[in-house]
Amino acid sequence: MAVAGSSQRASSQFLKRLRSSLPWYPFIIINALVFVLFNLIPWFSMFRYSVLKTDLLSTREFVGLDHFVRMFADAKLHKAMLNTAWFTLMYIPLLVVASLGVAILVNRPLRGMKAFRAVYFLPNITSVAVLALIFRRFLSPRPDGPLNFLIGLVGIPPQKWLIDVYQAMPSIVGISLWEAFGYFMVIWLAGLQAIPNELYDAAKVDGANGWRLHRYVTIPLLRPTAAFIIVIATIGALQVFGSIFILTGGGPVNATTTVVYQIYNEAFNFGRFGYASALSILFFAMILIIALIQSRYLRFGDDVY
Amino acid sequence: MSVSETSSESVEKPNIIRETIIYILMAAVAITTVGPFLIMLSVSLTQNIRFITFPIELVPTPITLENFQTLFARTDALRWLFNSVYVAVISTLGGVLTSSMAGYAFARGNFWGKNVIFMLFLGILIMPDTALIVPQFVVLSRLGLVNTYTALIGPWFASIFGTFLLRQAYLSIPRDYDDAATIDGANLWQNWWHVLMPQVVPTMATLAVLRFMGNWNSFFYPMIVTSKSDMRTLTVGLGTVARSGGDAGLDMAGAVLGFLPTLIVFVLMQRYIIRGISLSGVKG
Repeated sequence: MAVAGSSQRASSQFLKRLRSSLPWYPFIIINALVFVLFNLIPWFSMFRYSVLKTDLLSTREFVGLDHFVRMFADAKLHKAMLNTAWFTLMYIPLLVVASLGVAILVNRPLRGMKAFRAVYFLPNITSVAVLALIFRRFLSPRPDGPLNFLIGLVGIPPQKWLIDVYQAMPSIVGISLWEAFGYFMVIWLAGLQAIPNELYDAAKVDGANGWRLHRYVTIPLLRPTAAFIIVIATIGALQVFGSIFILTGGGPVNATTTVVYQIYNEAFNFGRFGYASALSILFFAMILIIALIQSRYLRFGDDVY
Repeated sequence: MSVSETSSESVEKPNIIRETIIYILMAAVAITTVGPFLIMLSVSLTQNIRFITFPIELVPTPITLENFQTLFARTDALRWLFNSVYVAVISTLGGVLTSSMAGYAFARGNFWGKNVIFMLFLGILIMPDTALIVPQFVVLSRLGLVNTYTALIGPWFASIFGTFLLRQAYLSIPRDYDDAATIDGANLWQNWWHVLMPQVVPTMATLAVLRFMGNWNSFFYPMIVTSKSDMRTLTVGLGTVARSGGDAGLDMAGAVLGFLPTLIVFVLMQRYIIRGISLSGVKG
């Protein structure tokens, strides 16, 4: 009898919990459906297809872990990984320095600062297509092309830019910097403005000024912001694709083929969707590991994240 | 605060040389960001221009709209523009509304699976979306959804970041509002729509602007899920223009067409964009 009573109590509690839960599900049902269709199912299919050899049309055969073994001997993939690292190593330091420098410049109580900030942000609102349309023309290898003309003014001979094996990637870096520095300037500004003025006043009383003020107050207090910027900029840099796809198509001679571009190539140019899925797993793991190492090493402050 | 601000101003004010140097530096940076857009506009209005060559006349003679006429005649640019507006508007409205709903549920609700779902959502937030592009295409092509608006809009119809953002906004509203509304007989939907949502409109506006810009400028995903020209968005279509090697006038007309809508949104909604970046930047 007692057992029946408690199970009755449990079932009435169950009903009560159910009744209080049910009205909430409609609020999250659309989110959940979108998540299942566009994230969860693709996530599982990524693993499933990584062990299949398929072009999505006629071929479809189980190959086990062959794709992962093949990665070790895939010279094009290794080149793409080196290119991605090369891009990131050039891009991140330049981006951090440029965006911080500009942020310090505009973070002053001078007239017209808001207008300057808005103007610096302009490149960031453009799509990669607009960016590519403009810079394909600006980086023209012609001697009278815009950039070649400008460097000619200081006596540098015309360069080939995007069609030169050694200059193509630095050119892409330059374009990416132009596009992104305004965005990171805004994040730096948020960090700068969170530093209390009293600290600067105190440092001035202690005799610090100019560069030393930045060295001993600004930079240490910006550490969490810096960590955040480096991590998200790196995650973005590792995924660079659009500008390369439109401007160089991975060339010349694979000089700008990045990992994402190579995944695109394998899937959509060679129809190797299985191998591309395996590469996607590798790429996902790469980003995750790099981001984890960075956030550990850079040590976020408690107030960030 | 105001005292220390005036004191730092009074320190910097007498230094006219330093101020001048700062303005010169800032102007130089400004020229590099605005210059290309001015030249873009100028070339788009120039007659028969195959290449951009320096030195350049910033005001072309005569000013012509021929390049735009050619663009609309030779490419599907008008159709791309329509697609982009349609996709961006539906995506933005849908994404903001579902984020508002889910944010409300995660802030106020007490339901089975709440924490598990919340952790799953957090998991997606850290996933780089380019890593998922190939499997997304595989799934969509098996469902026969390639070249459909469903594919273009679908992933944008919910926003994990937006859900977190709005959850925070709802959490900052005192429970007293909910209690009062319940006493007045409001159900959950009425409480959400009439009582709480009006108080998070600024956050929703911020999210809307970020989503609109993000959707308008997105390239990789919409390129992958569309193969027919008439289903492309403007950004994807202009990418094909950039690769096709037409003349400079046509290219810059395309660039102006792609740039203007984002410029208008930026000018009108600048405050919200900056707020959104600061929010995502500082809070992660």
